[in-house]
Amino acid sequence: MSRRRTTAALVALAAIGMLRILWLHFVSEPRHEPPRAPIDLRYQALRELVRSGEVGYVSDLPAAVRLGEDAATLGTRMYLHAQYALAPVVLRYDDARAAVVVANVSDPAVLPELLRQRGLELMAEAGPGLALARPR
Amino acid sequence: MSLLAILLAGWGLVAAGFPRRPADGVERAFRAAIAVALGIGAWSASYAGWRLAFGESGLAKDVLLAAAGAASVIAFRLRPPEQVPERESAPRWLWAVFALAVAVAAAAFVEHTVRFPDGGWDAWMVWNLRARFLVRADDLRTAFSPRMAFLAHQDYPWLVPGVVAQAFARLGESPLLAPAVAAVFGILAVAVVTLSVARVQGMRWGLLAGLAVCTLPCFATFASNQQSDVPLALYFAIAAAILTQAQSRRELVLAGFAAGLAMWTKNEGALYAGCLLAAWLWRARDARGALAFAAGALPCTALLLCFKLGLAPSNDLAAFSTRTSLVANALDVRRWAELALLTARRMVYFQDFALWVLAAFLLLVSHFRQLPASVLGTALLLAFAAYAPIYVLQPHRLDWIFRTSADRILIQLWPAVVLAAIPALARTTART
Repeated sequence: MSRRRTTAALVALAAIGMLRILWLHFVSEPRHEPPRAPIDLRYQALRELVRSGEVGYVSDLPAAVRLGEDAATLGTRMYLHAQYALAPVVLRYDDARAAVVVANVSDPAVLPELLRQRGLELMAEAGPGLALARPR
Repeated sequence: MSLLAILLAGWGLVAAGFPRRPADGVERAFRAAIAVALGIGAWSASYAGWRLAFGESGLAKDVLLAAAGAASVIAFRLRPPEQVPERESAPRWLWAVFALAVAVAAAAFVEHTVRFPDGGWDAWMVWNLRARFLVRADDLRTAFSPRMAFLAHQDYPWLVPGVVAQAFARLGESPLLAPAVAAVFGILAVAVVTLSVARVQGMRWGLLAGLAVCTLPCFATFASNQQSDVPLALYFAIAAAILTQAQSRRELVLAGFAAGLAMWTKNEGALYAGCLLAAWLWRARDARGALAFAAGALPCTALLLCFKLGLAPSNDLAAFSTRTSLVANALDVRRWAELALLTARRMVYFQDFALWVLAAFLLLVSHFRQLPASVLGTALLLAFAAYAPIYVLQPHRLDWIFRTSADRILIQLWPAVVLAAIPALARTTART
């Protein structure tokens, strides 16, 4: 293989790569992938209420916490988002008996029912579908 | 003070590692790029060491690091410069293509960062989560609490979280800091590969190597994801570049130090450092050189062991594995066949790799196979081969773990693949 042909082949591969990058980032993604809001926005008010320590976490959607469970679900994402936003608070998944419990639901309408089912009483609401609670 | 500590530490490491002064601009630029990368790594590793040993880290740590760097620069000065080697220059049009490729990758980085301001899934699940714990928690152990979900991967080493946490501590928790750190690692990865090839083969081949990194479609995406894969790729590439071009034991020590930083970046770094060491012993048959490499990796190896033995909970792959599951998975022929099929399909995954990976594979089987085995080529083959039993034996569903990890493994190894492939191509085309 001559040097000129090798250079041309590598530049051709680079050109294909560049076209693929441009297509993905400036044509396909803007059409199909809406921009994400910063995670902290949803949890800002809650972070003012709970700043450190360990608290319980309950939700209307299950999160993957064991081997073999699907980690790509909305419930997992909500749990991990809450953990990220509220750090250094450690969220103990599915622990409704902790002194303080974060309730994080996908549908705000189900929050009262979730609190009733888990034997919790509302301490403070911190946004749509987001609340701080304690055991009754 | 932090910036001074990074620059002096990096400069000191490079001054200690290279016995002679750089002879020209390409060599100076290469050393400057690795000095910044190693300086950042040393800044983060010293932060971790300080926190594990003494608690909260502050100005004193940076002053000591800067002083150590300055002392090294003074101790290793006044050496005669290298001879300027004959190098092939690059045509202007190739510079233009390279500039265009860098611009495209930079635009993609910015677009992806704006679209996903918190980075990729692992950024908020693992890396920046850890950085927040490091800077916000009063007790260091909270950052690695086993009461968090295993998906937070509390056992991962924390070079990148250490950089972000220190940036947060010095400048406040601005949402721009994690993307800025990610951008620096991405730029350094392209620079190190380009300049490393250019210093030996000339700028034509250096630019082609740089093109192979920044036009791999998933490179800009991974760089903007604020995860540890591009930083790991950077430190592995530095270790590989210095090791394979070393002309002295001191360079081997420096290569080992870079490999140690790779180990402190991600668990996979230990595998890659081990593969480099094994390949050196196998191909170079130089036990003293291997010792020098291991000595360079020693500080970060000790740091990693302190963390793993003293603070980290067990790795999920180990925690969820039993002897029965390991034996059952090893003997499951369907699992091996599934892995072979998934790998073959991934090689032609145009969305993430365009045609680069397929081209590299075709070159390997048609062209490189006939060349004498190199240290880096052997290390890469060992690393790729090691993933076969890792994938098959691990306890998770194979298709899920492969889908979520194969691209990141490729991005970790790709700059080193380019470092192995482009010089081999340059040498063989020069003869024909």
